[in-house]
Amino acid sequence: MAIAAAPHGGGIADHIHPEPQSFVRRYVFSIDHKIIGIQYIITGFVFFVLAGLLAETIRIQLMHANGGFVSPQTYNEVYSIHGSTMVWLVVIPLLTGGFGNLVFPLQIGARDVAFPWLNMLSYWIFPIAGLMLFSSFLMGAPTAGWTEYPPISLEGQAGTSMWAAAIFLVGVSSTLTGINFVVTIMKMRAPGMTFTRMPLFCWGQFATAPLLMIATTALAAALAALFMERQFGVPFFDPTKGGSPVLWQHMFWFYSHPAVYIMILPAFGIVSEVLPTFSRKPIFGYKLIAFSSMAIALAGFMVWAHHMFTSGLAPYLQLPFMVITFVIAVPTGIKIFSWTATLWGGKIHYTTAMLFAMGFLVLFTLGGITGIFLAAIPFDLHLHGTYFVVAHFHYVLVGGSLMGIFSGMYYWFPKMSGRLLSEKLGKWHFWLFFIGFNGTFLPMHWLGLEGMPRWVSTYDPQFQFWNQFASISSFVMTAGILLFFANILYSIRFGKVAGANPWGARTLEWQIPSPPHYYNFKHIPTVYGLPYDFSQPLPYRGLEDELNDTPPPVAAGAH
Amino acid sequence: MAVASITQGGHDSHGEIDQLYIETRELRLQGFLLFLVSDCVLFSSFIFAYLYLRNSGQGWPPAGINRLDVAFAAVNSVVLFGSGATMHYALENWKHGNFMKFAWMLIFTIVLGVGFLCGQGYEYTNLIFHDHVSWWGSGIFGASFFTLTGMHGFHVFVGVCYLTVLLLQSAGGVYTKDKYFGLTAGTLYWHFVDVIWVVLFSIFYLL
Amino acid sequence: MVEKNAPAVRLGRGFWIVTAVLAILAIASIVFWYVAPIYRWMHLPVAIATAKQVDQLSRFMLATGSALYIFVVGYIVYFAIAFRVRKSDPPDAIGIQIHDNHKLEFWWTVIPAAFVVLLSVLSIKIWYEITLAPSNGLVVEAIGHKWYYTFRYPQVNGEITNAMHLPIGVPVTLNLTSADVIHSFWVPAMRLKNDMVPGLVTQIHFTPTRIGTYQIICTQFCGIDHSLMHQQRFVIDSQANYQKWYHAWQVKNAKVSNALPSTSGASVNLAAGDVAAGKALFAQKCTACHAMAPFTTVKYGPGLLDVLHDPTHPNLVNGQPANPADAAAILEKGYTGTMGSMPNAVTNGLSSQDIANLVAYLNSMK
Ligand code: HEA
Ligand code: HEA
Ligand code: HEC
Ligand code: CUA
Ligand SMILES: [Cu+2]
Repeated sequence: MAIAAAPHGGGIADHIHPEPQSFVRRYVFSIDHKIIGIQYIITGFVFFVLAGLLAETIRIQLMHANGGFVSPQTYNEVYSIHGSTMVWLVVIPLLTGGFGNLVFPLQIGARDVAFPWLNMLSYWIFPIAGLMLFSSFLMGAPTAGWTEYPPISLEGQAGTSMWAAAIFLVGVSSTLTGINFVVTIMKMRAPGMTFTRMPLFCWGQFATAPLLMIATTALAAALAALFMERQFGVPFFDPTKGGSPVLWQHMFWFYSHPAVYIMILPAFGIVSEVLPTFSRKPIFGYKLIAFSSMAIALAGFMVWAHHMFTSGLAPYLQLPFMVITFVIAVPTGIKIFSWTATLWGGKIHYTTAMLFAMGFLVLFTLGGITGIFLAAIPFDLHLHGTYFVVAHFHYVLVGGSLMGIFSGMYYWFPKMSGRLLSEKLGKWHFWLFFIGFNGTFLPMHWLGLEGMPRWVSTYDPQFQFWNQFASISSFVMTAGILLFFANILYSIRFGKVAGANPWGARTLEWQIPSPPHYYNFKHIPTVYGLPYDFSQPLPYRGLEDELNDTPPPVAAGAH
Repeated sequence: MAVASITQGGHDSHGEIDQLYIETRELRLQGFLLFLVSDCVLFSSFIFAYLYLRNSGQGWPPAGINRLDVAFAAVNSVVLFGSGATMHYALENWKHGNFMKFAWMLIFTIVLGVGFLCGQGYEYTNLIFHDHVSWWGSGIFGASFFTLTGMHGFHVFVGVCYLTVLLLQSAGGVYTKDKYFGLTAGTLYWHFVDVIWVVLFSIFYLL
Repeated sequence: MVEKNAPAVRLGRGFWIVTAVLAILAIASIVFWYVAPIYRWMHLPVAIATAKQVDQLSRFMLATGSALYIFVVGYIVYFAIAFRVRKSDPPDAIGIQIHDNHKLEFWWTVIPAAFVVLLSVLSIKIWYEITLAPSNGLVVEAIGHKWYYTFRYPQVNGEITNAMHLPIGVPVTLNLTSADVIHSFWVPAMRLKNDMVPGLVTQIHFTPTRIGTYQIICTQFCGIDHSLMHQQRFVIDSQANYQKWYHAWQVKNAKVSNALPSTSGASVNLAAGDVAAGKALFAQKCTACHAMAPFTTVKYGPGLLDVLHDPTHPNLVNGQPANPADAAAILEKGYTGTMGSMPNAVTNGLSSQDIANLVAYLNSMK
């Protein structure tokens, strides 16, 4: 970027607003991307606890073949809100709004995102939508799962409309975030930060942002139609009025398949930062990893009907969907293999962040492979709607996205707070979580193969043993997560002071103080190369003053 | 990068306006275009829904519903496209400093936009009270027709309001010959609304 | 490039030993999936011909998937152990500074791609057999309700509400639909399911190959008692037992239907029907509920394109054979079935001549 050659200089990079002083402007209605990122993370984890408690309600109910912990009606509400919350209020906001906001503007050497005010708006829509979603419990929550297939969702209680409105709002928030991120990455990189020098976490966000923008809007249309049909009787999906229930499935999955990549691509990005840092090695195959993220994002738009193999699509229409879904294994495989190769010949430091990243590799790969199984139509005709699917998606979502989130938390917590999380508690967290996770979700594979359907509050007694096994394991997992929260609460006050760069990492965010100044960089650095070459000096110039006492850059004054 | 290339072109390089403005305009323009893209996806989804329902084997228009009146809608479309043209000239005039002409063109645009809305209102009244076709009571025909054209009408309505604000702002000296991003955005938005109408007109009236 | 403290780029002996071990484990896992009687452990018998092929595909995927997984995880674990930092390493020790290896990248793109092609071919082959419609099979209808299934058989009035019986060895086409919300029809022993969508008729095809009693399970959330929708049975009988069961039903339902106003024997002179007049009338009175499209295109009532000539739908919705006289009876008396109510001639405002014209028109379509 030829800022230096521009006639006057004084572009955005030199335009620094004075730091707001009041508490409200600083921490509540903040327009600082770092604060907004932290707001997203805190809110996301609050919803995570709620949705996790709902998950434990599910597991307690399923301890016994006859259920009995909650009524079937409540059970249905519980898993519907569990799924909806985990997807829309936990994983997506944490990975995009949370880590995205917190990290990638620092990594590309920007002072903020392109539209800080819009960023604040995106954030504030999110807790409001979350409250709306949970308030649906008061008026009879939706029961038809996070997918809310009509016509059953047309019969649902009033809360179903509330659900639609809440998810619509989350969608608006995601769309705005997507626009903001695309523009930021396109236009606000530091001089020399070309696309082929961008850290892979930024690539992850860059592949995700268009999905946020485009897929989410398609969902908004579906939700609007469902809402209108429920509230005003405008027929789209009701077959007795000429509508088509299958239409909803197309509209929903056209969003929700890309949405699963919204939930995994940023996690790929996190892993791509953590692995090279703690192996003390350049990431293996940088360009292919970056490229394959884009390929996955693109192909993600062409496979939605693999959720609908049993919905009565014309059989010949199903074939291309099956084959394109298989094809996604290729770019994803490239990533998995490249990460594995990154470990080879490294000097691996077993920090908790690294453990979670390696756990990610192990668990996500299993979930991905069962995804490929499900994509094979003959196999899916057997297993659609069973616990095998539940097993698949928890492996990719919990073993993938959530492990990625934990890895990111251990990795960037020092940058947020200036203190390290306790490694000892962290390792307990990891092992309890890893073991508990496998104990919970591995048996679901054979439960599904043997014939246990999803969405059931009671089941055939032959499945009771493995369900109890899963439930008890899920308590182990919960214990691990409790340690995580305990760790955060403890370390934020008593943790070791981190310093600017506790991990010896090489991306830009580690070259400035923890937590960074309001204006991020005293001088915008110039970038000369990829961040991952441990044998080379850091590829940045202009960072000399960041860690000393030189005065901050002059604020441009109020406008 | 892009910022540098902007500074090469036209009157911007005379140094009358500052770097900050140039870069900010770039950002806003791109953000605004992306907003239009996602808005376009919103329309596309409903258009997909409409085409899907239309082809679900029930015949179109469904029994008991007459074909839409193409002639009237065609005239109304011409009104809307006309407003697209006047908007184009409005912006051109602003760029060349003909502020009075700009104002007249913008006023024409607003009037034509309102005209289109009136036409649509007339068409709706006719359908509802004469043909008894309603949003919720006429099956998927009513649902898709009123939802899509209504969404478009709402966009026109928002556009008319926005253009009115732009008119007041430009009269109040908010924009200069070099700094007129709001006008660019307004023009883009208005053209976008036109293009959507081309699609809607084809699939509802011509298909 | 200055390699500070960095070891050289070379695969050690350990790597090859580990590779050999992993290869053995991978082969062992493949053998395991092929010899282990997994579906027997799971109490999942093979009830139809294609189920066996689905199992073969599953075995193939499980076997290759595990082999692949063993390699990925094996290397991760090995690298994790072999390349950990040791106490003796200087604090700034770094790993081997290697960025990529085009040969390696080529192979790990091409091998999965080839595998994808293979998997596609295998899946398409089996998919083709699963979806292949038999030309002269038995056609049965299954309808999902909250929270049970009903079945309609050719030449049987009314609906069967408990177990569904089928003869062994006879190809079957099952027409699936729903009376309320989306349900699904899954027989794990068939490794086959399909949704039952209201307003749509979907089909599955199969040939029973094993006598026995199996579960039917609903796998699509359908309301409060979805969990209980697995209690009906899918029974495959010997041909003789099936015939016995079938006739018992026929007789029983004949009695029942005598008690109802008979739907056969409409008092209409069908010979006088005029196709053109019927066509006009149809457009005017029937298209609100029926499309001129195959039976499976449901608008409110079923599609009527080949109602009198459709081999997959040999009976009318009331169980009577699809011939002009019985169709005329439906037009005259109306019929209420699972899709809803078909109005009678009075409600539709049809004269006898109108009915004759309509039936002539229907008969002319195919
Ligand atoms: C990212 C997404 C995500 C995550 C992380 C999870 C996490 C978990 N999920 Fe869930 N799940 C879904 C997404 C997710 N799930 C979706 C989309 C569905 C489908 C819904 C549908 O069918 O519509 C589903 C459905 C689903 C089902 C199937 C329900 C059914 O079909 O009947 C089950 C059953 O076991 C389950 C279990 C669990 C468990 C045990 C966890 C555990 O990993 C949860 C662990 C977390 C906790 C236990 C929280 C721990 C914290 C505390 C307890 C702290 C206490 C607080 C303090 C003191 C601070 N989930
Ligand atoms: C983070 C979320 C996430 C991710 C990343 C994925 C990834 C994939 N998913 Fe999954 N999926 C879900 C979340 C996710 N999914 C959810 C939530 C549902 C259920 C929704 C509901 O009904 O409630 C679901 C359901 C679902 C179904 C529908 C099942 C059904 O309902 O009948 C299918 C079917 O095709 C599928 C396939 C895939 C495939 C092929 C991938 C691929 O992207 C995976 C690619 C990865 C690999 C293959 C592993 C690594 C690759 C290698 C090691 C290379 C070599 C491998 C081979 C050659 C095989 N998924
Ligand atoms: C109010 C809606 C409605 C109208 C109007 C209507 N039908 Fe029907 N019709 C139905 C329904 C519903 C069924 C199926 C009943 C069931 O099985 O549940 C049906 C069934 C039939 C069948 C039997 C189809 C089969 O495959 O067995 C015929 C034939 C038929 N209708 C002809 C007509 C004709 C001809 C007209 C015009 C005069 C007409 N219907 C008008 C609703 C309607
Ligand atoms: Cu019927 Cu679930
Ligand atoms: Cu998917």
